[in-house]
Amino acid sequence: MGMSDARVSTAAAPGGWIAAAGLKRLASLKLTLVLLLLLGAGVIGHDPVTGGAAWLVAVPLLLGAVNLSAAVLTHPVFRQQTALLMFHVALLAIVVLVAAGRLTYLNGQLELAEGEVFKGELARSESGPWHRSLLERARFVNDGFTIRYEKGVRRAETRNTVRWLDDTGREQKGVIGDNEPLVRHGYRFYTSFNKGFAPVFIWHPAGGPPQRGSINLPSYPIHEYGQALEWTLPGTQIKLWTMLQFDEVLLDSDRVSQFRLPTRHTLVVRIGDARQELVPGERMVLPAGILVYERLSTWMGYTVFYDWTLPWLFVACLLAVASLAWHFWKKFAVQPWDR
Amino acid sequence: MATELQLLWLALTLYTLAGSTAIGATVLAKRPERVILAIILIGLFVHALSLGLRWERVGHGPFITMFEILSSNVWSLLLIFGVAYWRVPAVRPAAAVVMPVLFLMMAWLLVTSPAAGHYPPTYRTIWLYIHVLFGKVFLGSVLVAVGVAGVILLRHARFGVARLAQLPDDVRLENLAFRFMMLGFIFETLMLIAGAIWAQDAWGRYWAWDPLESWAFTTWLALALFVHLRITFKLRPLYSAAAIVAVFVLAFLTFFGVPFVATAPHKGAV
Ligand code: HEM
Repeated sequence: MGMSDARVSTAAAPGGWIAAAGLKRLASLKLTLVLLLLLGAGVIGHDPVTGGAAWLVAVPLLLGAVNLSAAVLTHPVFRQQTALLMFHVALLAIVVLVAAGRLTYLNGQLELAEGEVFKGELARSESGPWHRSLLERARFVNDGFTIRYEKGVRRAETRNTVRWLDDTGREQKGVIGDNEPLVRHGYRFYTSFNKGFAPVFIWHPAGGPPQRGSINLPSYPIHEYGQALEWTLPGTQIKLWTMLQFDEVLLDSDRVSQFRLPTRHTLVVRIGDARQELVPGERMVLPAGILVYERLSTWMGYTVFYDWTLPWLFVACLLAVASLAWHFWKKFAVQPWDR
Repeated sequence: MATELQLLWLALTLYTLAGSTAIGATVLAKRPERVILAIILIGLFVHALSLGLRWERVGHGPFITMFEILSSNVWSLLLIFGVAYWRVPAVRPAAAVVMPVLFLMMAWLLVTSPAAGHYPPTYRTIWLYIHVLFGKVFLGSVLVAVGVAGVILLRHARFGVARLAQLPDDVRLENLAFRFMMLGFIFETLMLIAGAIWAQDAWGRYWAWDPLESWAFTTWLALALFVHLRITFKLRPLYSAAAIVAVFVLAFLTFFGVPFVATAPHKGAV
């Protein structure tokens, strides 16, 4: 009995010893130096615009997390110095949270005409592999915007009125823009510099119920001289080319101005060889139905961002600075600064 | 605008006088420390008037154009150095190192255009002020550390031996420089956090590795590297001082080089 016990413990000891030694090696502070250098090189070397070579940042971060975890488990300093331990654990938490955020984030763009309801559809988006979309819950209405421009057509404040139903089903109204997003179910909606004109049509298909809809012309004023778009009439194969025409200067480079609709304009609509100029209220008769040009309106481009880790990251960051300050406070308080 | 610039020139003249006196005093082993502090304080006051007049006139703080950024940083760096100079006597000879760095910025300031720039809508937030304030304390603390590190380096170069020899030994000076570095480290961390909060509100992302973000983070990593090098290899004061100067160069280029080269990002698209 005693013999076999002894055998068991001698058999287990080398394994435990090897594991402990391995952990110590992983916890090497020289490795930390190498990883910090690699991370710095990766930060400068990777391409944030295309997302190319993201592994240059991800791999040193991952190895750094392993190195740091091993150090936290094995270095005696961390048992003696609580503040230092807290700081390093907060750093670990930040890395873990950022990784979790990358797996579940969503980043997208959408456009809404004035009065249009957002129903969860994005024009463009990218997301982490584990993102579970609850976007259709984050409904809101674009109720129109004002944008002030300074001299030289420099964009100043954007104020966009939006409406939504809160959790109790009551209607809420608010103004977003610049540093103020609309936050719904964790999704953060931001106005963007993308916005423009939106002609509103009513389409009466032969033998069907009428439908109202609008098209978003290219962004204004960036595409000031390209206010045209080709689109397809819903439920048909008919391609329409549409161009907005007006003569007045909307955004004057010499004075402060506001984004606004032109006072007088025409809409050029071309289908194949047929061309017609429409003012609001006029119609175009087609074999498949009647297209009524109702009025000119606007659209706003939004970006939407989802990352559930944001508040936790904030807490971890605060914890990191607080413990860093605490650590050095204790360390430096022992001796005065002006000896 | 004329008064504003005249006051600025007066302040720069006073700073130059204070700096020259400090350098001369080090070479001649004299100690006119109260005179130097007094000249710096008057300069700071005059400079503050100039910054205030401009703020009033253009309707926003000094953080848009290169002229404004340089001017306000010369002011804040000297203010922080002035406080350290006043409170920590061992820092005083560092003026002979710190002032030439500021001369460089002042010369640069004189060749930049004082015309007002465009104040983007995303700059109208309290986070801008918090971010800028933390950044200024960060750079100021690191500059003080560089001054003290410079004294160590000068001593090793056998320069100005008489005056510099009266100071505490290298080990104590290095410890003092390290303290200011770590103060800077804390404020740089705060600066990055405040910047990320602002970026989230302004551009809908807290971090996107734009050039300024990348270089600011690299500077932060360089500081972490310095801390760990110092512990792992028990750096001698000479090497520690050299590392402090290297970190400062990186921070300086991040503050004044990157926004200068990469114009588009970090300013908010139009
Ligand atoms: C990646 C893995 C990391 C490991 C394994 C690690 C490990 C350690 C250890 C063991 C110490 C205590 C050294 C001693 O007092 O003997 C220490 C100190 C410290 N580390 Fe780290 N660390 C890591 C990353 C970082 C990072 C990224 C930062 C900061 C940005 C950092 C900042 C500090 C600071 C400020 C100290 C205190 C230095 C002092 O009191 O003088 N560490 N680290």
